[in-house]
Amino acid sequence: MADYDIPTLKEEIDRETVDQVLALDVDKYKYGFETLIESDVAPPGLNEDIVRLISAKKDEPEWMLEWRLEAFRRWQTMDEPTWAKVHYPKIDFQAISYYAAPKAFKGPKSLDEVDPELLKTYAKLGIPLKEQAILAGVEGAGEPTGTPFSGNVAVDAVFDSVSVVTTFRAELAKQGIIFCSISEAIREHPELVKQYLGSVVPVTDNYYATLNSAVFTDGSFVFIPKGVRCPMELSTYFRINEKNTGQFERTLIIAEDDTYVSYLEGCTAPTRDENQLHAAVVELVALDNAEIKYSTVQNWYPGDKDGKGGIYNFVTKRGDCRGTNSKISWTQVETGSAITWKYPSCILRGDGSRGEFYSIAISNGYQQVDSGTKMIHLGKNTSSRIISKGIAAGLSDNTYRGQVSAHARAKNARNFTQCDSLLIGDKCGAHTVPYIESRNGTAVFEHEATTSKISDDQLFYCQARGLNEEEAVALIVNGFVRDVLQHLPMEFMVETQKLISISLEGSVG
Amino acid sequence: MRQAYPVRLGPAEQTLIDQLKAAGADQAAERLSVAGLPTRRFESYHYTDLKTLLRSVPPLGAPANQVDVPALSLPGAFNLTLVNGVASQQGEAPEGVIVGTAHGGVLTTRDDAIVHINSGLVRESLSLSLDSTLDQIVQIAHRIEGEAAHVADAIKVFVADGATATIVETFSGSDAAHVGNHAMYMALGKGAVVTHVTIDLSARATSHFATNEYHLADGARLRTLVIHLGAGLARTHLFPHMGGADAHADVTGLNLVSDGQHADITMETHHAVPHTSSQPLFKSIARGRSKAIVQGKLVVARDAQKTDAKFMHQGLMLSDEAEILSKPELEIYADDVVCGHGSTCGQLDDDSLFYLLSRGIPKAEAETMLVRGFIAELLDPVDDEGLNSALQGIIDGWLLGGK
Repeated sequence: MADYDIPTLKEEIDRETVDQVLALDVDKYKYGFETLIESDVAPPGLNEDIVRLISAKKDEPEWMLEWRLEAFRRWQTMDEPTWAKVHYPKIDFQAISYYAAPKAFKGPKSLDEVDPELLKTYAKLGIPLKEQAILAGVEGAGEPTGTPFSGNVAVDAVFDSVSVVTTFRAELAKQGIIFCSISEAIREHPELVKQYLGSVVPVTDNYYATLNSAVFTDGSFVFIPKGVRCPMELSTYFRINEKNTGQFERTLIIAEDDTYVSYLEGCTAPTRDENQLHAAVVELVALDNAEIKYSTVQNWYPGDKDGKGGIYNFVTKRGDCRGTNSKISWTQVETGSAITWKYPSCILRGDGSRGEFYSIAISNGYQQVDSGTKMIHLGKNTSSRIISKGIAAGLSDNTYRGQVSAHARAKNARNFTQCDSLLIGDKCGAHTVPYIESRNGTAVFEHEATTSKISDDQLFYCQARGLNEEEAVALIVNGFVRDVLQHLPMEFMVETQKLISISLEGSVG
Repeated sequence: MRQAYPVRLGPAEQTLIDQLKAAGADQAAERLSVAGLPTRRFESYHYTDLKTLLRSVPPLGAPANQVDVPALSLPGAFNLTLVNGVASQQGEAPEGVIVGTAHGGVLTTRDDAIVHINSGLVRESLSLSLDSTLDQIVQIAHRIEGEAAHVADAIKVFVADGATATIVETFSGSDAAHVGNHAMYMALGKGAVVTHVTIDLSARATSHFATNEYHLADGARLRTLVIHLGAGLARTHLFPHMGGADAHADVTGLNLVSDGQHADITMETHHAVPHTSSQPLFKSIARGRSKAIVQGKLVVARDAQKTDAKFMHQGLMLSDEAEILSKPELEIYADDVVCGHGSTCGQLDDDSLFYLLSRGIPKAEAETMLVRGFIAELLDPVDDEGLNSALQGIIDGWLLGGK
């Protein structure tokens, strides 16, 4: 338990909620172990040689190296952004190592060839890669050895800078789906990578995205061909293990016309005194009538009770609804990281496209969260919805920062935003900074940030059926939170079950 | 860091720097030459980028002939005028009102270019002390007369414990590319009750800036109403400081913009002590190709428990090219508070319009009725009948004034 007292609370705040949040205290981080495995680590520092080294390690074609070098040159001319409500000592980008891979590593392969030490690590994290394959009846996968893991999920496991294994590839390939690490995609599907990489998040988008473009190591690549509904959940599990390294993940998901895909992402790191940098870029492209659902449970190491150590999570995530009636939905549960700087966004370019953002961000200890979303309405009849819940405890600061904008041609753009926050204790802070920009007379935007806004009709309905007001409110609030969590795939339920009963009674706007 | 690069200064900044230097405000001049006028990167000017909007600044205004016709005809009001920054009073001051002047500016120093310029240029401010319950409205008419001029003026108002007052400020002048930079500092004593209405009626060519600072002691009650409708570029920056228990502020405002206008109301309310409340309510109506902006920040200090604050902004767009931009913001450090904000924008409700049309009311008239209804929430709380109908008249004039 942290050395600050359990705060005295308003009566309305549900005790259970408080216990749930305190149970997530930074001291109780349970993924803090380290895997002792020999690694191949690049020397610390960042220069063109390191960029060349990463590119060479990944056996990349010349055009990719050029792309990286151009990004690197551009990055050198840029300044770190300072607008977010987070404070941290200046990062020494020359002190970090930009590449780390398990030593015996020769490139992704079948499960049988993966170092058992690595498989053990993933099993410990609740991702028993092997059992999964067996349960799904993959030939030659052997007999089950441990607790069975439910569900049918294809997993890309990324360990430090490399993808160690991707499961179910053959099964997915039968339907024409490509699911592999981005490094493989660069080698094997250069035409797709060339067409889409950097088309949603341009190389020069922002400081961290440009850095990522120069030194990105691994991440997932997903391509769903026309008319295919992906038969299983796809998932990537990111693990930072090596000390003094940064992880620069790059994920690209392309959903062609009339497709559907659900993608999950999880992340953890060992307990360390130092701060480690995770600067990722995720790009989603949805063409006509395609739907992409992207879910994250972010549980990087948050630092200890004194605010020492922890991951700096500076992430650029953006989805481009390029086709008509396409849909992109982001769901995130943010509990980890010392600092979170993350704004999963949707560009609603196609007519009739739809963007959604559901978020629960919980901060404790010395954590600082500055997260939110952007909904950029460009096409006609586009709609978006933002539901965000921020809960701050301990000495943390939790900020929602969001932008909703309708451009002059975005006829009939529609947005609904609701963001609520709850403070537990008197040493934390909750902040809301929405930018609402309507440049079109036909746009209808609604933004509210308060919990007292439960609709009178709903209350009346419940009360007319014999519930007292408090019960009615609890029912509606709980139903509502569950509604957010329902957008998470089943596989993440275990992780998030603890959060389900969190009520937001007594919260502030 | 970006700030380390020298800022390229435009003609407006050059003129301002020269004027500040001539006024002996070296610090303000130095600051402006280092930082320049605020751009959209400066959060409180996010939607009003002065570097691009304020291209030139006219010479400082010279004393002009007094015009003693007040902008609003308010029967029985005590009238004061500030013509090109020079104050004068019409008739005898009512009992309990002391009019005087004081040296220098009135605003609290803060990181804001308009505040620095005002404080740097104002040599003499008008000071008002209100000691009892006033039945008469105090009307202060700011006018900028003659050729295009840059005028900075400032007023300091002390409202004694338990006193009640209604203060109306109007801004108007000749039809020229004036730049007006107006400051108001108001201290409300314990239990003081004040209504403060400011209305910008400047010519379209004018750029209008106002900064209003309010300090509320225990139990003080403040109602403000800012109306923007004249100047091509108008911005009012409000800083209510809730410094006493049980103080309450209804901070309200209305942006009325037509083709080519840009109006911005930015508020930053600071709840500094426990048990204070505020209810900011702003409305914007935009027609033609115009821009209306409302930014509202509620800051609740660490110890300011039991704060009750609710910000609301509603925008109404009467044309497809209109832009309504808003940024409500909460910065909360106390856990036992009720704070919220809301922001909506849209067009007139089709159902309501249909209802009126189907009862034989012509379209234009029906629309005006709905818009008047939309505004009523702001005007109704203005108790003084004469003032209320004068404001209603001005707004009706705007509504019927077309694009």
